[in-house]
Amino acid sequence: MSTLLLRLGAPLQSWGTTSRFVRRNTDRAPSRSGILGLLAAAQGRRRTDPLEELLDLRIGVRIDQPGQLERDFHTARSRDGATSMPLSYRFYLADAVFAVAIEGEYALLEGVQQALRRPVFPLYLGRRSCPPAGELLYGIHQQSAAELLAQHRWLASPWVQKSHRRPTVDLDIVTDCAPGTDGAELVQDDPISFDPQHRRYGWRTIHIGHVTIPNPVYQPARAGAAEPHDPMAAFEGIA
Amino acid sequence: MARTIVDIHVIQTVPPSNLNRDDNGSPKTAVYGGRRRARVSSQAWKRATRNAFGELLDPSELGVRTKQVVELLAEEITRQDAALADRAAELAEAVLTAAGIPLAAPRKKGAANESKFLLFLSARQITGLAELAVEAGHAEGKPAIDKASARARADREHSVDVALFGRMVADATDLNVDAACQVAHALSVHAVDTEYDYFTAVDDHKDKDDEEDAGAGMIGTVEFNSSTLYRYATIDVDRLRDNLGDDDATTRAVETFTRAFVASMPTGKQNTFANRTLPDAVLIVARQTQPINLVGAFEDAIKDNVNRIATAIGNLAGHARELHTAFDEQPVAAWAFGVGDERVAPLTELAQRTTFEPAITALGALVGERLGQ
Repeated sequence: MSTLLLRLGAPLQSWGTTSRFVRRNTDRAPSRSGILGLLAAAQGRRRTDPLEELLDLRIGVRIDQPGQLERDFHTARSRDGATSMPLSYRFYLADAVFAVAIEGEYALLEGVQQALRRPVFPLYLGRRSCPPAGELLYGIHQQSAAELLAQHRWLASPWVQKSHRRPTVDLDIVTDCAPGTDGAELVQDDPISFDPQHRRYGWRTIHIGHVTIPNPVYQPARAGAAEPHDPMAAFEGIA
Repeated sequence: MARTIVDIHVIQTVPPSNLNRDDNGSPKTAVYGGRRRARVSSQAWKRATRNAFGELLDPSELGVRTKQVVELLAEEITRQDAALADRAAELAEAVLTAAGIPLAAPRKKGAANESKFLLFLSARQITGLAELAVEAGHAEGKPAIDKASARARADREHSVDVALFGRMVADATDLNVDAACQVAHALSVHAVDTEYDYFTAVDDHKDKDDEEDAGAGMIGTVEFNSSTLYRYATIDVDRLRDNLGDDDATTRAVETFTRAFVASMPTGKQNTFANRTLPDAVLIVARQTQPINLVGAFEDAIKDNVNRIATAIGNLAGHARELHTAFDEQPVAAWAFGVGDERVAPLTELAQRTTFEPAITALGALVGERLGQ
């Protein structure tokens, strides 16, 4: 079993699954349709092309750095400035980082990795104005997506790791699950077709679990050294 | 044809300004690297870029975005054949309907019908559709227009701006054009706080009248910030070539976009702040693998405000060098220009030091050469 690991990080990302009309939402983690769309764009598939074997890929997302929600107020006008189009609100996740594990056949993942290295269409994280920043590819591993996400080192930005100041970190993991599982949620982001004529998404059930992994930059206090005064320490771990 | 991607990186300082504001009038911001940054949306700078096209390109190479397509097309039909002036509106509607563009009654009484959505047509497409309408106008009886040929005329020879920025027609999705350029939101390289300018406006007439009180005619606040921005855009030359269907037009579009993106400025509160600056430094990189956004150079917000611009340029160069090494990335060519030899020096390790116009000319030459390959 092979799993390709991606790190999706950028100042802004936006992963909408329920957006309608002038309010363009984002979920708190990349959607399956968004990730498959990213891979399809890298391979040079047009929106009307079939997605074929990509649909068999299993995807797990770990929220390494949750980021924060930003609202963007958007106006649009005709070229001559005479007609105003409806005002819209677009939501973005700022400063977020996700570890995305894509599980499938080795040969297919190898092809996907090559395509991401030399993408036919420019890549973006949910919205065109959100190009990825930093390293994207973290190699193909001989593990399942769930195993990889439970073990792989924390991919958050150095400043987040440093400010965490604990030996371990708890991260949320979004994975597919069987309908009827306890705590399962429904999302409509399983792409059937990206064809703009009849864009269709199927429903899938997801489960939000947690893993605890080490904080790579944690430095235990030296024995005998006085604990530095941290008035906020009492509140750590809350919310 | 060799694969070509053009990345444009700009470091630009703006004094107190409010280039792009939200519904409360505050300058737009976003958190990055844990600090709040000034932000100018990609849409705002794309509009500024497109507005600059007007001065750089012939109107025949540009598009018109409007709902008044019937009127526009009727004018062109009349220009092509004055004898059809009476039937121009009817013919225009027939050709648009055949192309699959939905029409609706105008909001103003007595005006021609409008398209349901803002349409973005190139001058060549309008000429082409009008030709089709004129042909049909000369035939006997009710104008019969072939759907396929109407659609084809609306779907080829896109204008430079449509080819670059794309087009979306919600009701006729096969007329959509995928944009060939990608623009990121501009972010400041340092943390910012929004500041408030409290102002009073003096009533001149009241001021001269001894009987009147000494109060201001009006008071208010204007929000602003000042920042050194990192701006990034990338052009996919191969997609642009697909959209324009012509090598020379593609080269000219790359040159024009680069020139306009570098030198343009959104107009927001321009008259209040006169914040019209030019970039401190520009790095243009032609690649053959993938576009590379260098915003990671500024994830750690720059804290030292003394050498902010020099530090920003140094960080940009350092980050680019590290990424290139880590991913064995070899740019095809790169050019850098900017203000101050010492400040721009770090970029010369990556790119050829030049000035604005020679950089654009060299970029155009490279693109033309690679398209021909």
